[in-house]
Amino acid sequence: MLYWIYIGIVVIITAIVIAELIDEPKIWNKIAYAMVLLPFILRILQIK
Amino acid sequence: MSVLMKKNIIQTIIILTAVLVIDIIAALDLIKMHHPDKLYPSDGLSEIQYLSNYNSRLKGGNGDTEIYVFDSGKPGASILLLGGTHPNEPASFLTAALVLENIQVSTGRIFVIPRACNSGFTCTDPFEGCPEYYHIQSKYGERRFRFGSRVSNPLDQWPDPLVYSHFPSGQKLSGFETRNLNRAYPGRENGSFTEKVAYAIMELLKKEKITLAFDLHEAAPEIPIINAIVYHEKCEELALMAVMNLEMKGLNYAPELSPINFHGLSHREWGDYTDAYPFLMETSNPIQGRLRGKTNEDLIRYGKSIQYQQAQETGALRIVYKADTGEPLERRVGRHLQGFKEIISVYNETADTGQMFEFSGLPEYDEIMTNGLKEYFQ
Repeated sequence: MLYWIYIGIVVIITAIVIAELIDEPKIWNKIAYAMVLLPFILRILQIK
Repeated sequence: MSVLMKKNIIQTIIILTAVLVIDIIAALDLIKMHHPDKLYPSDGLSEIQYLSNYNSRLKGGNGDTEIYVFDSGKPGASILLLGGTHPNEPASFLTAALVLENIQVSTGRIFVIPRACNSGFTCTDPFEGCPEYYHIQSKYGERRFRFGSRVSNPLDQWPDPLVYSHFPSGQKLSGFETRNLNRAYPGRENGSFTEKVAYAIMELLKKEKITLAFDLHEAAPEIPIINAIVYHEKCEELALMAVMNLEMKGLNYAPELSPINFHGLSHREWGDYTDAYPFLMETSNPIQGRLRGKTNEDLIRYGKSIQYQQAQETGALRIVYKADTGEPLERRVGRHLQGFKEIISVYNETADTGQMFEFSGLPEYDEIMTNGLKEYFQ
């Protein structure tokens, strides 16, 4: 159960960061958001 | 749509695509680590069991792992050989693999678990820069083996507490140790992931009435307990006799008595909770050390490090370290194997008929040093 709560939190954070990345007008800030996204998406891709 | 908006959308698509491509490449690499290395048991193999036979809660998960059983069918001692308790200690896994690929048992039976902490083989330790694999030559070509993590994969056990409280002693250790199999004994049937694995091994020891149990390890050259045999107080005589015999063969092992109040370790809890005589063996492995320098596959294979040569010259090491020979895998596997054979040999000298463990097919230390590991792997 704890595992799926954790995955749920990761998915929510990922969605929020993607939304922020889309809204963000400055390219360097977009890249910063992308750096935050990398480990979160990597974790989601390894769900089993 | 304004030009600025268009630019923003294009930038977003490019950045998100780049993130996805990088993550998919990395994820594929990480998922590859979940495929266990193929092993080729000798024709003396009786059956392959699984740890989940001893704790059903492990079934279908990363904690479940193969137990290779070689049963002579003739009454005798039951032996347990554990490799891969810490998957970043390759001589431990390789010695168990060499045993299961070569042994022929004529009296008694042996249970070999090459990947005791199977979960640890599915990742590497963060921030250590260790290679994912190493290669050795075998009779029929090159074989590739995983270099894993000291502890269970956080994907299997998360989060780590700030302080790990060992069950049942209540001993406090750093939170990281909660995923360390060799701090988890005797474990719990429904405890943490690592405790479940430890519990299954304890159940195996009890149900199969194991007589002698071996847990193979490696440690950094600067750690005081290296090139050592750690033993429980109830098998002191056996351990000291074996160390003496090994000394006469030119191999030095430090006999180390298991501390009574240091809990969670195999040499303590196996001895306290079961009838088995436990032994833990350590060799010197430079890739685990803080002074190691360049961290690559050569360091795993040959154990050569200029930094350790300098440390030896300043007297900071307990072992003799030579830059020209290093600490090669052959020597480390050879030492484990010779220690294992010598303890069994000493045990057989004192065992009653019908309580012995007799076997063939395993090389001597000198043979491994002369022929290399190649001769003993399929």
